[in-house]
Amino acid sequence: MGALAIKNVTKSFGDTHILKGIDIEIESGQFLILVGPSGCGKSTLMNIIAGLESPTTGEVHIGGRVVNNVAPKDRDIAMVFQSYALYPTMNVRQNIAFGMETRGVPKKEQDEIIARVAKMLQMDHLLDRKPSQLSGGQRQRVAMGRALARDPILFLFDEPLSNLDAKLRVEMRTEIKQLHHRLKTTIVYVTHDQIEAMTLGDKIAVMKDGVIQQFGSPQEIYDQPANLFVASFIGSPSMNFIPCHLAEQDGQLGVSLQSEGEARFIALPQAAKLTGSVGKKVILGIRPEQFDVVGEQGLACKVHLTEPTGPDTMVLTQLNGIEVCARLHPREAKGPGDTVRLQPDVSKAVLFDAESEARLA
Amino acid sequence: MSNPTQSAHYGFAERWLPRLVLAPSFLLTILFVYGFIAWNGYLSFTSSRLLPNFEWAGLVQYQALFESERWWVAVKNLFIFGGLFIGGAMAVGIFLAILLDQKIRGEGALRTIYLYPMALSFIVTGTAWKWMLNPGLGLEKLMHDWGFANFTFDWLVNPDTSIYTVVIAAMWQSSGFVMALFLAGLRGIDDSIIKAAQIDGASLPRIYWKIILPALRPVFFSTLMILCHIAIKSFDLVMALTGGGPGFASDVPATFMYAMAFTRGQTGLGAASATMMLMTVAAIVVPYLYSELRGNRNA
Repeated sequence: MGALAIKNVTKSFGDTHILKGIDIEIESGQFLILVGPSGCGKSTLMNIIAGLESPTTGEVHIGGRVVNNVAPKDRDIAMVFQSYALYPTMNVRQNIAFGMETRGVPKKEQDEIIARVAKMLQMDHLLDRKPSQLSGGQRQRVAMGRALARDPILFLFDEPLSNLDAKLRVEMRTEIKQLHHRLKTTIVYVTHDQIEAMTLGDKIAVMKDGVIQQFGSPQEIYDQPANLFVASFIGSPSMNFIPCHLAEQDGQLGVSLQSEGEARFIALPQAAKLTGSVGKKVILGIRPEQFDVVGEQGLACKVHLTEPTGPDTMVLTQLNGIEVCARLHPREAKGPGDTVRLQPDVSKAVLFDAESEARLA
Repeated sequence: MSNPTQSAHYGFAERWLPRLVLAPSFLLTILFVYGFIAWNGYLSFTSSRLLPNFEWAGLVQYQALFESERWWVAVKNLFIFGGLFIGGAMAVGIFLAILLDQKIRGEGALRTIYLYPMALSFIVTGTAWKWMLNPGLGLEKLMHDWGFANFTFDWLVNPDTSIYTVVIAAMWQSSGFVMALFLAGLRGIDDSIIKAAQIDGASLPRIYWKIILPALRPVFFSTLMILCHIAIKSFDLVMALTGGGPGFASDVPATFMYAMAFTRGQTGLGAASATMMLMTVAAIVVPYLYSELRGNRNA
């Protein structure tokens, strides 16, 4: 039995439907990411898992039992909040001990647990400070320590890194991942940051408008996005979406790309099953890194703008009248106004239906 | 037009205009507040009776004051009234604020209802409660009319209990205000702290008692300051409700001062009691201001 199963959960306030039938199941020890833009219902789902809100319909199973009518404290969970939610008048030690005191853990055991957690998170020297005397990263650490002290079957992280500065965020991200490897606990992690989602997750649920758009491993979601939204949300810079018509040439299906008045037919082997829809309006999705600079056989593209990032240079150009970004090696990127000859790597390209926005191939 | 003259002009106005505009109110405050405090202080060292007399008489008025039974009744009443009123208004106000903080419907309307007594003057409060507590007119008569012939509630006319009726009326008036202050404080508490405590397994009373109320310490102290000064200077409520009576059983220092200075022709004694009140207020306010100002400088 999985560590967490969410079965057809909905949540409505009057006529406002926040969650519209969520189904998720993860195994013990997995790291689940709920990712989506703000207002997609991910935090509501998190609160339902924690028991802070109750679902309108559906069931939540934690560790194999239905917990719909179980109070948060009896669900054997621990939660880390975006604002850290440390108790402001208590020092770090009291913050960590509060939950254990409430549960009636003997004083001696409390001290052992605090010592162990403080050692694990390297915050022994902070134990007697008040939250107001700590930096953002230290507060984050204490909040995690408070959760670890509980040793629950399920950890919930609600955008824990959003209030940290960029450098610290990357450090803490690594630390959370290491912690997960070491402790092998089950974690549910809410974020709106697709990089956090990709780097941390074993499983990612991409949400929008109260619906799970796609649920799968990070690589699945990156390579085979279920629809236009998932494709645009995951990956930075975002995937290029080039409107075109499905065509047939020499018995192969493909699309035609135009640049600088020159048109070129690009055969798409993966579109073979779409024989019946020749002429249909489709959207070709190509990630920026799937462009290669080649010789004469490439499509001549005029560079509008370059954005060097160090390891790569983003080159902005136009295909089919749409702005397209290509991630090139700095040596191959030219300056604005120059022409580069680009060849898309079609093996990883995806096709979306222009109407339904679902992936066709 | 030449620019240097214009800017010199402007500099002059900038420097002097604020001072000029503030000067009248500054002078009036100096004269009518601090001037009269000083004058009152001087009068308390004279033997003034009905009219002021400026001959230095040393501490005779203070000696008379400390030997006066009525003064000590007033001081005792101030402690009873102050303690019960501050404690009671604080407890009721915090309790109401916590209830209103539970995201209930119609909170806006309820908040206004509870805050409204603060909009009344103490005179109105005192008069209304005098009618309600009057045995021949209010609650007791109502109960008698309903057939509870043995019901008695005569606190207002009983010398041992009349001060408690002042406590009731003052609490009724100020609890809503305390509630509003604490409600604002409660709203400033991060929601996720409460969620975290819930997951930690704390019950709602424990969350409030151990986490939220300790975090409201600054609100607690501001409220205490405001209620303290209402208690010490309370005069109009006592005048309207009991008039200090029966006899002088519910006198407080303010009514004592008024009686001595303006109705019994004991101006010097009244001045001495007023000075004692000023000292009491100063003893509370000065350390508070000191700590506040020092805190600001550090921030």
